[in-house]
Amino acid sequence: MNGSNPSLVSAIRGPVMLITLGVLLAMDHNGTISFGRTWPVLLIMFGVFKLAERAGAKSA
Amino acid sequence: MKRTSIVAPLLLIGIGALFLARNLYPELPLIDYLAKYWPYILIIWGVLRLAEILIWAAVSKPLPARGMSGGEWVLVFFLCLFGATLHTVRGFSTWWPRSGITMGGLDMFGESFEYPLSGEKACSKTPRVVIESFRGNARITGGDTDSVKVTGRKTIRSLDQSGADRANQDSPFELAGDANQLVVRTNQDHVSGNTRASAELEIAVPRGATIEAHGRRGDFDITDIAGNIEISSDNAGVRLQNIGGDVRIDLRRSDIVRAISVKGELELKGRGSDVELQGVEGPVTITGTYNGVLQFRNLSKPLRFHGQQTELNIEKLPGQVRMALGDLTASNLVGPVHLSTRSRDVQLSDFTNSLEVSLERGDIELRPGKLPLAKMDVHTRSGDIELSLPPGAKFDLTASTGRGDVTNDFGPPLKVETDHRGTTLRGSTGGGPTVNLQTERGQLIVRKASPEDKPLTPRGEAPKPPEPPVPQKPLKKVEQ
Repeated sequence: MNGSNPSLVSAIRGPVMLITLGVLLAMDHNGTISFGRTWPVLLIMFGVFKLAERAGAKSA
Repeated sequence: MKRTSIVAPLLLIGIGALFLARNLYPELPLIDYLAKYWPYILIIWGVLRLAEILIWAAVSKPLPARGMSGGEWVLVFFLCLFGATLHTVRGFSTWWPRSGITMGGLDMFGESFEYPLSGEKACSKTPRVVIESFRGNARITGGDTDSVKVTGRKTIRSLDQSGADRANQDSPFELAGDANQLVVRTNQDHVSGNTRASAELEIAVPRGATIEAHGRRGDFDITDIAGNIEISSDNAGVRLQNIGGDVRIDLRRSDIVRAISVKGELELKGRGSDVELQGVEGPVTITGTYNGVLQFRNLSKPLRFHGQQTELNIEKLPGQVRMALGDLTASNLVGPVHLSTRSRDVQLSDFTNSLEVSLERGDIELRPGKLPLAKMDVHTRSGDIELSLPPGAKFDLTASTGRGDVTNDFGPPLKVETDHRGTTLRGSTGGGPTVNLQTERGQLIVRKASPEDKPLTPRGEAPKPPEPPVPQKPLKKVEQ
């Protein structure tokens, strides 16, 4: 990755993670499924983003 | 040019609007909305930021290295903390892992939805009625009937109607079995996830029924049953009245266990607070830890109490015993009476046959009252012993204190001896049972009882009149 022209993937990582967090918490609060069970989704998302970044950096 | 996000200004505007709304419409439950819907702030924030970045990308503006700066994540963290706290404080939930580790009975959130339930089934005159894994309050009443009739309602806590409906379908009420064995099943343990169901049941059964109840949490009021009662629960208050058979109660926690007029034997196990037994005709066995007030009245057969620190055995109790945290007061006991405990002030009056008391710490006051005297063997490591005897009593006394004064009302027949180990009061008034009093540190008083003596009452407390038997109040809701 080069710092001068960061990829779109790493730029949207933060907001997408934030949205995911919000959705999980909202689901927790309206009783659909507890955050205590769904939190690993955040780890998975983070991992997926890291992979996508690597792939993007290689192809660039 | 450094680009700044539009989210921060929007967030400020949002917070300002919120406070303004709160000032203009104070009756709006804004805090509740906030507690319930704060995660949507995160979602909106994320969506705005995402849209921003996508627009920048579309118009080929330079992208930021990271979509969210460290500072923003810190803000998110605090927002989460604030929201979760609010959510918890407003009673919607205990937020952290809520159903992964269900936190006892604390999982309270959402609103309650109520569903009526009822059922009736014919049965024999002496059925066995089993209540399975029940959560809630049940009042069971025996009567002249040959059916089991259940009425009541189920309360489901859920955030919305659909969740509650689903939970209601998952926990159908069943009245199963045949004429001799009926099962009342509320299936509350089938409710999954974050929803909790509890029920308030009124169950009318034939008088001859036998009741077996397994509860998770909630109270049982049982009246006028001729059969046996068996209750086990994680947390329950139990009130029984007019029971013809044996009673067996096993609780992991309870606020009160009350039994009034039981014909059979009574066995109580577990932990709890208050215990009140009155008019039990069979033997009573109590094992466990009870840290409230224990009161026993009118027990016709032996009482065996095995507490964590206290052992009390009484052959028969025409009078009463009251045990609170620091004291024990009893009157009118039929011995042999045996009491051993760690730290309590003990007051006993009118006891017969024999008495054995052993304390670690505490004052002892004894008034045998009736003649002939009981044989007494009384020991405390630290505390005063006062013995009031009727004037004409015959006894053979040995009373010693390691350090403390001796008072003798009986005069010459009793002699005081002092040596390096302490003071001993010894003597006999012409035969009679042996009376051994021993304190390692404390006063010894042997006095003549006089009619002016006030009745013994626990220190700092007036004797409470017996509570009225099981008031027919509406069943209260279980706080989940």
